[in-house]
Amino acid sequence: MKWLVTGASGFLGRHVVDAALARGHSVRALLRPVSATPSEWESDPRIEVVRGDLRARGSGEAMAEGVDGVIHLAAAKEGDLYEQFSGTVLATENLIEAMRAQGVERMVLAGSFAVYEYLDLPRMSLLDETTPLAIDPAVRDEYCQTKLVQERLVRRAADEAGWHCVILRPGVIFGSENLWNGRVGFAAGGRWWVCTGSGSVLPVAYVENCAEAFVNAAEYQGERGTQTFNVIDDELPTHRSYLREMRRSSGGGARIIPLPWPVMQTLAAAAALVNRLFFKGTAKLPGLLVPARVHARCRPMRYSNARIKEVLGWAPRCDWRAGIARSTGHGVDA
Amino acid sequence: MCDLSPALAEFTAERFGVPNWFTDYRAMLDAEDVDVVHVLTPPATHQRIVADSLESGCHVIVEKPVALSNADFHALWALSQSRHKMLVENHNYRFNAPVRKLESLVADGTLGKVEEIEVRMALDIRSGGRYADRNLPHPSHQLPAGVIHEFISHLVYLFLHFVPEDQRDSVESVRAAWRNEGGGELFKYDSLDAVLIAGAVHGRLRFSSRQWPDALAVTVRGSRGVASAELFHPVLQLTKQRGGSKHLTPLVNALGQSATLFRSGFGSIWSKIRNRTAYEGLDLFLRQTYEALASGSKPPVGFDDMDRTSRVIDALLARENRL
Repeated sequence: MKWLVTGASGFLGRHVVDAALARGHSVRALLRPVSATPSEWESDPRIEVVRGDLRARGSGEAMAEGVDGVIHLAAAKEGDLYEQFSGTVLATENLIEAMRAQGVERMVLAGSFAVYEYLDLPRMSLLDETTPLAIDPAVRDEYCQTKLVQERLVRRAADEAGWHCVILRPGVIFGSENLWNGRVGFAAGGRWWVCTGSGSVLPVAYVENCAEAFVNAAEYQGERGTQTFNVIDDELPTHRSYLREMRRSSGGGARIIPLPWPVMQTLAAAAALVNRLFFKGTAKLPGLLVPARVHARCRPMRYSNARIKEVLGWAPRCDWRAGIARSTGHGVDA
Repeated sequence: MCDLSPALAEFTAERFGVPNWFTDYRAMLDAEDVDVVHVLTPPATHQRIVADSLESGCHVIVEKPVALSNADFHALWALSQSRHKMLVENHNYRFNAPVRKLESLVADGTLGKVEEIEVRMALDIRSGGRYADRNLPHPSHQLPAGVIHEFISHLVYLFLHFVPEDQRDSVESVRAAWRNEGGGELFKYDSLDAVLIAGAVHGRLRFSSRQWPDALAVTVRGSRGVASAELFHPVLQLTKQRGGSKHLTPLVNALGQSATLFRSGFGSIWSKIRNRTAYEGLDLFLRQTYEALASGSKPPVGFDDMDRTSRVIDALLARENRL
């Protein structure tokens, strides 16, 4: 099959292209006008590179011509609401229009764990596909808001037209270009790593495992309509063990300062109380002092990948330790 | 609520509790009983949307610039008068607290006779963000002054606001250097350095995208003192003649400025916590505009403000690279 892959030259996109080719598919890779073409693609006849920016109205029509389906990875993760809405939602809106115009009826969308509710869940809840979506996205962040709207758009379009649509919500995707993430903590002064929610489980998905999940989803031959799956590896580290392994594998000497969840929870709750009492909730505080954001990043939870394994037959082949080793150049093939 | 994107229109309507949303503003004007239209679209679209809104019998509050030339503004104004509707351009920075404090210093004579006004804006728009995006160039790049056209109104109306009323129509000797200091094809201009004289008041307007930190400052120099209002990190600094020994005046002024800077340092953090941004003047501008609409009185930004602003912008554009 021939797949249009948006965000193809991005961190996940390159691995998805590799995984799709390895399964015998061909790829039309959408690159933004000034993005560099990966050198290994230039002589590969299975990859057709097209250039365009999905934020421009009507831009996607030619791109979607003649493909069997779309693997939609492009999204904006940075910038203000205007920029993220444009890069995530408007791009998807234009892509959907292009798919309708070209009669393309298959889509795999890269969703996100950011869409789930965390604050209102019972203690040590199991987060799976049945977990409610964020109740008040505006108090979270722009990414949460725009990914929710994006999912709603895709689900609506797919259900109205009876597309084969799979929404994959990966946890924390990590790999060589992306080992750090906001959940595990932050570097302080170069010699210290503050590990936020140190004992909490980190729902990781090694990028190569994740890429294979996207190809499994593309090949899924289930009923028409929208299916949703979470993508996380089998064995999951704690925030602290992830940082330790990262430090060990990279040979770094930073000292890890654990900031346990009860401390973070108490600080955020106290800040929220002060905000409510003295500022009627209007004060703008750092993310680590906003309960909805802290819970989304660090709350101790349980996670399951049972549904994707059962329905899509996906099996992560590389565990998180091997993933870190490969990402830091010390690993061997899993 | 209207936007070309259904997703954005729906999202915004949900966020603000607006029951209906549209993707065609003409359909919205036909379907809804609209009293006031806020036009927040890119500048090049203002002429058509403002005219259609006025034709539909609506008052219009429009983002700057109201039109791309003084002649276009006059056409819109004539239409608004023929329909007995209000047309108001957003001059939001005039209503920020530091500018209002500066106003009072000029009004009460603290600065004496105004002699010189400098308006300086520094915005790092080249190193990232929507204006530097080469994948999908921002529509402002197509404007006569390029991206600076988005900001030039602020510089001009702030300058004119501090020129004595009887001299605002006598702007002359306009010289302007429009430059693309950063090079490349995307930006038409990223720098403006202009001088102009209004009656006896000398002015300088400066826009730069290569300075740190970002700033929007209005400095007024008069016969009895100088005051500078900074809007992005709100503070008003004042040097003035003081009673007592003139030998102590520098010391008293320095102590006063130190106290102001100390307060503004904490004030910046406080503003962040209270979520107050440089758009704080917008609330007051809109409140006064709606009060004027309700009472039938003059709006806070009137014909003369808009006419003079667009005339000076025309003059600046007519003198590209002749400084």
